[in-house]
Parts: sequence; C-alpha cells; structure tokens
Amino acid sequence: MLLTIGQLEVKYGSQTALKIEDPISFKKGERIGIIGSNGAGKSTLIKAVLGLVPYRGRIITQLKPEQMAVHMQFNGYVTTMPVRYIMETILGTKIAKNKELQELISFFDFESCLSKRFNALSGGQKQKFTIILVMFQKAGLTFYDEVTSGLDFETRQKLTEMLSQWYRDKDDTLVVISHYYEELEQLADKLLILDKGRVVDFGRKNELFERYCGRVVIIMENSGKNKELSKGFPVLKSPEHLLAISCKSKEQEREMLMILTENNVNFKRSNSDIEMMFMNARERFYAQ
Amino acid sequence: MHNKPCMALRKRQRRNGVTMEKKCSLNMILYELRNINGNFMPHFFGIVFPNLMCLLVSKTVGAQVPAEMRKEAVTSIMLTMTLVIPMAIMLIGYGALYALEIEKGIPLRMRLFGFGEKCEVTAKIAAHFILMTIAFLVFAVFQAVVMEVQRPAAGSLICLLVSLYLIGGIFLIIAHALANILQKFSLTFGVVMCLYFIMMILTGMMGMRTAQLPQVLQKVAGFLPMTYISNDFIDFWQGGSYNFMPFIQSFIFFGAAALILLYLSRMRNHHFSML
Ligand SMILES: Nc1ncnc2c1ncn2[C@@H]1O[C@H](COP(=O)(O)OP(=O)(O)OP(=O)(O)O)[C@@H](O)[C@H]1O
Ligand SMILES: [Mg+2]
Repeated sequence: MLLTIGQLEVKYGSQTALKIEDPISFKKGERIGIIGSNGAGKSTLIKAVLGLVPYRGRIITQLKPEQMAVHMQFNGYVTTMPVRYIMETILGTKIAKNKELQELISFFDFESCLSKRFNALSGGQKQKFTIILVMFQKAGLTFYDEVTSGLDFETRQKLTEMLSQWYRDKDDTLVVISHYYEELEQLADKLLILDKGRVVDFGRKNELFERYCGRVVIIMENSGKNKELSKGFPVLKSPEHLLAISCKSKEQEREMLMILTENNVNFKRSNSDIEMMFMNARERFYAQ
Repeated sequence: MHNKPCMALRKRQRRNGVTMEKKCSLNMILYELRNINGNFMPHFFGIVFPNLMCLLVSKTVGAQVPAEMRKEAVTSIMLTMTLVIPMAIMLIGYGALYALEIEKGIPLRMRLFGFGEKCEVTAKIAAHFILMTIAFLVFAVFQAVVMEVQRPAAGSLICLLVSLYLIGGIFLIIAHALANILQKFSLTFGVVMCLYFIMMILTGMMGMRTAQLPQVLQKVAGFLPMTYISNDFIDFWQGGSYNFMPFIQSFIFFGAAALILLYLSRMRNHHFSML
C-alpha cells in the first residue's frame, strides 16, 4: 500500500471542504483519476496529502515527501529570467550536460521555449514546463491537478496523449484530477468520485460503470418518440437533452438495438462512459 | 487536534527520518542574483539613484556654502546618501520582490520542489547582501573619482560600514515580515514606499536636517539609527570622539521592532495556511 487515507476531514473555517470516512488506499503503479464538480474537494485532497492544509484524521504513507511530485492547479514561477535557469536551478542540473533532461524537453517539444520567460509562455507551454519539472523528479507518487485546463481541444488531446505515452510501461503511481473525461479514459484505471467534499465511490473504472450503468448504455436524443420506443427499459439519469437506457444483458441490448434500427434512430453505445457513470453514481449516492 | 499546515509536512519528514529541504547551494544564490537582476528597480534605486543624488545635491549645496566649507558639506551629503542604498535594496527591493513571489504562489511551488523556506530565504538574503556590497563599491568608487569628499579615519569608515550592513539586515527582516503579513505586492510595495519616505524625512535625507523638524518628530527620529549616521557621523568622520550610546540604543530599538514584526508574521502564517 503506497498511501492510505483514513477518516480525513479538512475544514476551511466552519466549512467542511472534504470528509473521507471509509479508508482509501492507493497502490503502487495505480493510475487514479479524481472527478467531481468545481469545489468538490479534489484539490483539497491533494493539499492534505502533501501537508499543505490543516486536517483531522490520518494519512499513512511510507513515502518521503521528496518521493511525491505535484503539478498544482496553479503553478507560479519568477518572470525575471528565462525558464531555462529556473529549470536548471530546480532540478539541480545543467540541460546541456543532462541527456535525460534533453530527451524529456524534446519529447514535449519545449526547446524553443527555454529562452523565454514564464510569463511569455502560452497556457499549454506553461503546463508543459511544470510537467517536465514534475516528471524529472521521478517521484513514486505524482499528482496532476487539472493539467490540461484552459487549453484548446487539440493541445489538450496532444498533451494527454504525451502524458499517456510517457507513462506507458512505467510503474509510476499517478493521481490525475480532471474535468475532461476523455483524458481519464486514457490516463486512469481507477476513479475516485467526489461530491461536495464527500466520497461518492472509489473503484476500477469498469466496475464503477457496471455498478451504476449496467453492462452497456445506449444513449439517444431525448424525444417523445424515443421515450415511447424504449418503454420498459431501465432509464438512467442523463443530461436533459439525452435519453440513456441501461442494458443489463446481451439479450436486452440486442432487443433494444433491434427496435432502434427498425425505427431508424441514431444512438451511441458505450460500456465506459464516465460522464454517465458519474451522474448516476451521484444520483444514487443522494438517493440513499 | 487539527494538524497545522506546515507542521504536518514537517512531522511526516521527521517520521521518515529525512529532511526534505534541499541545502542552499551556490546555484540557488546565482538563481536569486539573476532574479534580482531581472528587475531594474533595485539597480536604479540602489545604485544609480544615490550617486545621482549625491551629484545633484552637492552641486546645489556646494554653490551655497563658502569654498572652505565645501568639502565638509559634500562629505555630509555623501554620508546621508549612503543610507539610500540599504533602504532601496533591502526594504524596497527585497520587499517588492518577495511580496510579488508570495502573491504568485512561488514560495509554495518551490517548497513542493523540495526547497525549504530556510534554503530559499538564505539564498535571497545572500543575493541581496551581494548586491548591496556591489552598490557600496560603486558608490565608493564614484565618491573617490567624481566627488570631492574628506578622507575618513579608518575607524569611522569601519563604523559606517558595519552600521550600514546592520541597517540593511534590519530592513531585510522588516521587508520579509511585511511581505509575509500583507501577502500582496501592491500593499507591500505601498507600505515599504511610505516607510521609505517617512524615514527619509525623519532622518534628514530630504534636505531638512532632523534638528529642524518639530519636537515630536525629532523624538521619533531618535529611535532610528539612520538619523545618527545622517546627522552626526560627519562630526567624527576624520576622527574625534562621539557618544555612541544613543546610536547603539536606536539600533537595539530598531532591531527589536523588526523582530517583533517578524514574530507577528510568523504568528500569522501559523494561523493561515499558505494557500
Ligand atoms: N484556502 C481556502 N480557504 C477557504 N475555502 C477554501 C480554500 N480552498 C478551498 N476552499 C473551499 O473548499 C472547497 C473545495 O475546494 P477545492 O479547491 O478542493 O475544489 P476542487 O474540487 O479542486 O474544485 P475545482 O474543480 O474548481 O478545482 C470549495 O468550496 C472551496 O471554496
Ligand atoms: Mg481544484
């Protein structure tokens, strides 16, 4: 067990920002995604683990602080010098003499940015800068807090792809906070779902999907006709404009698909949709 | 019991039998020097400004005093202007730089990369003292080459230098504490600038000697070591006796005030998280 969080409570003044009752454990090599709306307590969890906010409870880990690396939601650097010097100071090495660092820099296509000051970098380049610093630490546990927020669609995809490529076949433990579900499809195996400072669920992606959405979900437009066609099938919670049907078995799915095909209805089939899983997990959490 | 923010981190470090903090290295000091260098303010206020002022003020004053008094008058102006250097570099320069970094969350980012507060602040202090030394050297060369000032007695020169470095150190503590308490660049900059001008007026650096100020202000000025350097050091610049007691007392008072401020800033950071 790399890290166990038991009965954690973080308060800001009188507001409880995070309350974890059942212990949560991160194992070595796991890729954990944390999801939850704004203010759910995601960043707070990381800050507690790093000892940056006061908390009540226990965080048990064999890790030394230098074995944890973190990409915070907001990362500030001095703007008085080119980022090359900041990088060399923080990593305690010279770029010209360090093959490994050179590789990392070229992997992220960052060479041309080295001579710029931090404030002159674009949003994506700023993120890459911290990512390089964080990756080079080769920590046993690495946190990425919204590493792609504020980036355009294409940059986001590229960066996610780079991250996933870099960590492929490596045994680093990652904790990735993100509001972009495609990103978590690529980067996470397990998901921790937070809402209003509470843990909704924690488990493997596919297990969670099955728990809350069944074997497969069929998603279509939320129209009167579609509602009529899917009568009798279990309906899942979904965004207002969509209608989501849960299929518990192959037979049920086949039956549904037949109806949809015959009536010429467009639909999307998924056995891993995180958004749908998240909505239904939250729905069930508050229903209890 | 709630764990205090940084205490939790430190406790974990202790439990693991290691200290996370990296040692303050030469690289770190070079980084801080580069950091200071990236901003023109300390250079202007700490190096250009005092020399320029010396030149301008001595030209105007020099024209008003009889020729045989001129050298002493210029020396007196020089002594007053030396005070600008520690004030500009330590109070304004360090205060502005550190407050801006706090506002941008840079110290926290450095902590997370393993650079402890001790390491970072040590490097900053070293870099600022190096800059101040450079400023003194430039000032000394300028005085020797361009200005006509009286040659000091060795003891007096040493006394001046020790005092200036001490004053620099105290200003640095004040600036560090203020930045930590105020947390914002604009606020910190405003406050240190106010302090700067108030002290300039009180200690006779704005052209009016302390003795010409209202009684109350003279009392206040008596608590500031700068007052004595600006007003009295000329009396024993080339030797002679001087009652150092009030001067030393002012140092004790000024230093204590700075330490209290530092203590308050520690208290504040103990109650609020760094975030
Ligand atoms: N320093 C702070 N002082 C007071 N309240 C805070 C502080 N930091 C966070 N909070 C509150 O704690 C709650 C959780 O914040 P947190 O930053 O963990 O959210 P998050 O899940 O990371 O959200 P986001 O997706 O917007 O980043 C929020 O309601 C927030 O307002
Ligand atoms: Mg957050």
